[in-house]
Amino acid sequence: MIDMITPPVKPARPMQNADLRPTLLFVDDEERILRSLRMLFAANFRVLVTTDGHEALEILKREKVHALISDQRMPLMSGVDLLRQARDIAPDTMRLLLTGYSDIEAIIGSINDGEVFRYINKPWNADEIRAIVGEAANIAMSLGQMLAKPLEQSAKEIRGILLVDDSAEIANNLREYIDDSFPGAFHLEWANTLNDAMAFLETRKLSVIISDINVGRDDMTPFIKTLKHFHPHIVTIVLTNFRDTSLLVELINQGQIHRFLPKPMRKSMVLRGIQSGMVLADEIRLRPAAKQRHKVETPKNIPDAGIISRIRGLFRSASKS
Amino acid sequence: MENIAELSIAVEPLTSDITIADVGDLFLQPAYDRFLSLPVVRDGEPLGVISRYHVQRILMGRYGRELQGAKAVKHFMNNSPLLVSVDRPVEEASHHITRNIAFPITEDFIITDGGNYHGVGFVINLLRGLEDKLITKNKSLAQSFSQLQASQSQLVQSEKMASLGQMVAGVAHEINTPLGYVHNNVEMARAAYDQLATLNEKYEQLISMLQSPDLDERAMQTQFSEIQEMREEFSNTFQHDEMRGLFSDTLYGLGQISDIVSNLKNFSRLDQAMVSNIDLNQCVDSTLVIANNLIKHKVEVIRDLGVLPKVRCAPSQINQVLLNLITNAVHAIEDRGRIMISTFSDGQFVHIIIRDSGKGIPAENLSKIFDPFFTTKPIGEGTGLGLSITFKIIRDHQGYIRVKSRVGKGTAFCVSLPIAEQP
Repeated sequence: MIDMITPPVKPARPMQNADLRPTLLFVDDEERILRSLRMLFAANFRVLVTTDGHEALEILKREKVHALISDQRMPLMSGVDLLRQARDIAPDTMRLLLTGYSDIEAIIGSINDGEVFRYINKPWNADEIRAIVGEAANIAMSLGQMLAKPLEQSAKEIRGILLVDDSAEIANNLREYIDDSFPGAFHLEWANTLNDAMAFLETRKLSVIISDINVGRDDMTPFIKTLKHFHPHIVTIVLTNFRDTSLLVELINQGQIHRFLPKPMRKSMVLRGIQSGMVLADEIRLRPAAKQRHKVETPKNIPDAGIISRIRGLFRSASKS
Repeated sequence: MENIAELSIAVEPLTSDITIADVGDLFLQPAYDRFLSLPVVRDGEPLGVISRYHVQRILMGRYGRELQGAKAVKHFMNNSPLLVSVDRPVEEASHHITRNIAFPITEDFIITDGGNYHGVGFVINLLRGLEDKLITKNKSLAQSFSQLQASQSQLVQSEKMASLGQMVAGVAHEINTPLGYVHNNVEMARAAYDQLATLNEKYEQLISMLQSPDLDERAMQTQFSEIQEMREEFSNTFQHDEMRGLFSDTLYGLGQISDIVSNLKNFSRLDQAMVSNIDLNQCVDSTLVIANNLIKHKVEVIRDLGVLPKVRCAPSQINQVLLNLITNAVHAIEDRGRIMISTFSDGQFVHIIIRDSGKGIPAENLSKIFDPFFTTKPIGEGTGLGLSITFKIIRDHQGYIRVKSRVGKGTAFCVSLPIAEQP
């Protein structure tokens, strides 16, 4: 009887194939957060944790990490600092910020310096964070070591920039800055309504769009989000004096904006933004898979369905040409 | 009443040749009852005034009427009467008249229009006009005063809201951290429970299989391996010590959240107004919890709290004072530093000293720090009201606040509050 109920022996789960699972690195100054996250992800990921940003950087130097998820406010090194340095050390690692403090400077830093894939608020929802982190890790897994390899420079072509702003002064200044610093390299168009912006998108090849949040009476947020959703190869830079934490988080998660620049416009900042935006646009053009790294959450709060279909249509005609 | 015109009484003036006896008769007529004097005018030009008093003196003198009665008024009148232009404002006119009128008052004044006679003015009316003006002015003063008071209390309120806003943002973060793992842990515990419940069901099925008279061996075998598989999956996902840790972390996190919440409640004390018998050390502690988000990672706090007698005070106000002083101390520290908080009593007062290792206050600013609107912060960052409100609160408590500072070394504030008298 006893023998009979002895179950068939199955091999224990082979832990040595842990190497095949994506690696996550969590950084938070609260150990309980780390313990909790480790348990949440341990089943499907190799999970590394540390309370110290410096140690996190050492880990990134030492081994392949697919996604780095960091808190913002930590005593030894801030999250944005960590993510910025992680960009240089391990460019292929996807970067995410997980924070309970909506500090506008930190959010802007996570865009401009951290170039984060997602900004997640504490307290988080277990299913959501699993989906977000899983997606990030899968993207890094599928791309492998791509960004670490230098880009083969292709023949230079004149690349298009579209400014969407209702101020002629901004347009004139930007044109002057560009002519001054990059003569002949870029073709700048200026739209002062959503409609004009759409018209340019339909007729011009654009690499970078620089847009305010509000242009005339148009709210550009749905445009920015939808465009990134269907057109991830166009790099977006937001130039505005509008400051709102929840909007910025939306623009990260649903808009993957490349830079957030404050108005009044500063020459050096906007030129650096254009430069790095062009590098990113080239990257995506030459290695189309890289656009996965800027995949957006399905845009929410899009009031005007017309924009979606128009931008989607634009995508079709663009892919034909 | 804006100018003197309204006071002007248009009385028919005397000619310069009318006799004193006739003037005397005029004064006796009821229509002239109110007049102290009558104007003398020729071709519109005011020449003088003749007072009732003067006429009486002349006529009532011995043989006055007989000797002087037939003489013309021009020989007796006051040749330099008080003249006031009709367009002069009341204040200006009264200023001119009080400076120049003879005492005792025996004459009215003449109101002119472009140099010509316009009418007569009574000093008493001028006084009434002035009084009316004063009343209106007082009213508008009282109104401005209450408006000022309202906007001051609004400012105090907005200062309170600004520091409250900062505080709330900080506290929200403090709560979000434990909330983050507590929430996650509970979700994982639920997942674990779901697995355990299913496992338990499988066990029950197994037991009923074992108990049934016609035992289906193959079904039982399957059941058994299913259970085995589930058990493995469960123990792979949820290890015992990890699970135990998860529960103690959760309880710890909940404890932290309730600490923060009860300190918040202590801090605001909205349920209590002026309460006697407060241990100020408790105020210090709950303020430190509230300010923790500002302090941690930047400032080391050293507490040196003595045993204190109770102080009669409004704890929410004292907490506001302490939060203000601690916030200032943190802001004064540029990179990292120390704040030392000590409390002690000298039998009459309880003293709280908050000493920081910050940049210090230059001597020229030290005398101004309690002035409303004095701030060294950039526009939009400080209202300049924090310390002036602190000062007011301490003064309302019959206490006092002192400051000592050295640039580059730090600043110390000492708050002293009188001890509650024992009944």
